[in-house]
Amino acid sequence: MTPRRWQLVVLFAVTAGFVAVPAVLRDAYLLNVLILTLMYAALAQSWNILGGYCGQISLGHALYFGCGAYVTSLLFTKLGVSPWFGAMAGGCVAAVLALALGYPCFRLAGHYFSIATIVIAEIGLLLVHNWDAVGGAQGIQWPISRDSWWTLQFARNKAPYVYLALGLFVITWLVTYWIEGSRWGYWWRAVKDNTEAAESLGVEVFRSKMAAAALSAFFTAVGGGFYAAFVGYIDPESVMTFRFSLLFALPAVLGGIGTLWGPLVGAAILIPMTEITRSYMGGSGNGVDLIIYGALIMFIALAKPEGVLSLFQRDAKPEAAR
Amino acid sequence: MTGFNRRHVLIGTAAATVTARPAFAQAPAEIVIGALYPMSGANAQVGVDARNAFETAVDIVNGMHEVALPGAKNAGLMGLGNAKIKLVYADHQADPQKGRAEAERLITQDKVTAIIGCYHSAVSNTVSVTCEKYGVPFMCADSSSPSLHRRDLKFFFRPAAHDEFFSKGMFDFLDAQKASGTKIETLGLFYEDTIFGADSSNTQRKLAAERGYKIVADIKYRANSPTLTSEVQQLKTADADVVLPSSYTTDAILLIKTMGELGYKPKNIVAQAAGFSEKAVFDAVGDKLDGLISRASFALDMAGKRPSITYVNDKYKARGNRDLNDNTARQFMAMLVLADGIDRAKSTDGEKVRAALAATAIPGDQTIMPWGKVAFGADGQNVDADPVLIQYIGGKWVTIFPKSVAAAPAKWPM
Repeated sequence: MTPRRWQLVVLFAVTAGFVAVPAVLRDAYLLNVLILTLMYAALAQSWNILGGYCGQISLGHALYFGCGAYVTSLLFTKLGVSPWFGAMAGGCVAAVLALALGYPCFRLAGHYFSIATIVIAEIGLLLVHNWDAVGGAQGIQWPISRDSWWTLQFARNKAPYVYLALGLFVITWLVTYWIEGSRWGYWWRAVKDNTEAAESLGVEVFRSKMAAAALSAFFTAVGGGFYAAFVGYIDPESVMTFRFSLLFALPAVLGGIGTLWGPLVGAAILIPMTEITRSYMGGSGNGVDLIIYGALIMFIALAKPEGVLSLFQRDAKPEAAR
Repeated sequence: MTGFNRRHVLIGTAAATVTARPAFAQAPAEIVIGALYPMSGANAQVGVDARNAFETAVDIVNGMHEVALPGAKNAGLMGLGNAKIKLVYADHQADPQKGRAEAERLITQDKVTAIIGCYHSAVSNTVSVTCEKYGVPFMCADSSSPSLHRRDLKFFFRPAAHDEFFSKGMFDFLDAQKASGTKIETLGLFYEDTIFGADSSNTQRKLAAERGYKIVADIKYRANSPTLTSEVQQLKTADADVVLPSSYTTDAILLIKTMGELGYKPKNIVAQAAGFSEKAVFDAVGDKLDGLISRASFALDMAGKRPSITYVNDKYKARGNRDLNDNTARQFMAMLVLADGIDRAKSTDGEKVRAALAATAIPGDQTIMPWGKVAFGADGQNVDADPVLIQYIGGKWVTIFPKSVAAAPAKWPM
């Protein structure tokens, strides 16, 4: 088997491992940590499509996340549409939004693009905050309903959410895997490495960026739809703030940007650590949990700027350091 | 792959052993209550103060105290063989998702009998729904969004007033001032863009229309804003007879500082508490706030009518090195109401505690609050939670309204 095929075997093994967890682990809190880990791995993988492979560092993905969460919640609470379709609709809206925003923004290069994404996401947040038809600052409350796969509401059972988050991660992984081996994947990496050189070789730079942005936004929004169904209440502060944009980028950067496994590795370190330190140390009010969190990120940034994954690679790819 | 699975089996078994502790059937030695507060970030001080308020309340329940408060005279909870209350704290970082997860952890791992919280209305929202799903009572100590008790939750209880009570109290006061000959025609609304600011301003707008006040400034601002210059400029231009701010600590400080910088002294400020009942605000800009009026659930100078206030305040001050305020007084009292419910339920079973709480009947003079009594409606809201209006004069709060508990008439203009 080629090394690429082996990746699929690893995915199968990892998935099988996660599928087995809810059968043996019953604790709602630990399952909650697992769900968040898988969800952020999927979201970081979505971010990775644009940020890691195409090299366009977006710090405004909270906009697409919020878009998915809001479209899903509105369709469900106002029209009774199942979140399965709601999340898809949210994904499509986000993809169109990404294309519309990409049209002006992709004319900006490097840091200027990143700054534009931050500003646009903040504008989105302010608009939703002041838009009474979508709940404004009050947010949207999902009704309490009985357990159902149709409405994705499960009062105490966490296993379905584990499978949903896992499914989302596996799909985003497979899409990334497919892209990596496709013509698009080569184009995107060429755009990332040297835009001018890529363009001179016939790579359609603008179209590459637009396609990556749309795909990335779509999956980020689907993740947002999942989040809304999982938490059962959203308001602008809890789905659209800058904090989320960072939380999508951070696992990918920490684990290894532009790699297949970086987002999962990063999320598997970051999320359990933030959750567990907060839960077991946060109650003291002295901020130890946040100090540990900050120290770890600084440590990795200094010791392994290519991401944790580079520890396991015999020759760290120079492109990963970007 | 087998190794991978085996490890998970081992972890799983370990976790199962920990969580499968037998539930104590009767008269446990300790009743565990979860307290969910912001313990880090911009509102960390709120969590620290809440902690001191709860410890003071638990101290009174667990020990023997000669003071007119429910559960004070006996050691522990009589109904449960003098069992003592133990508190477990968790940090929600003002995030509804984290609040929900922490509530679930407190319920499933710490086996709490009830949860008390959560300051932020958005967090109280998800936490109360989680409590409902697990059949665990939620005592809403200090979130004042009116939408919270309108969701048909069975396990939700709020002894304190919500913002509509407060806004109504504020307008009753304005009406009374007007009736005594003061000119009050125009109002300036100033509120943050959160669930709190939205609820508060919506009610104020409605009441202003009903009672014939003209709103000359209606200013929404971004919470935790780095600057409020343009917003204050608008307020200054409108120069309303009364400015009604709904702001938390950092914004309240910034608002007053910016007013000073722009040379704007409002004729009067009647605040929707929040930041304007925090010591931090008065430490920072207290010199500019003489004559400020705030609605309140609580005032220290009511001690003449509620003697227990002095007793409780001394105990609280010994812990927190500050006086009880609007938030901490509500937190303290909510804990006593919860303890009283568990005591009468004679059980830690969620359904029984819920039923006992629903039947709560604590007379007003058994509280440290200006309330008529504590008795919950079907929606879990105490219907007799009368607010007061207090004025900051010479570094102290003076109760000015309603007349029945007022210590002095209002100084007007400020």
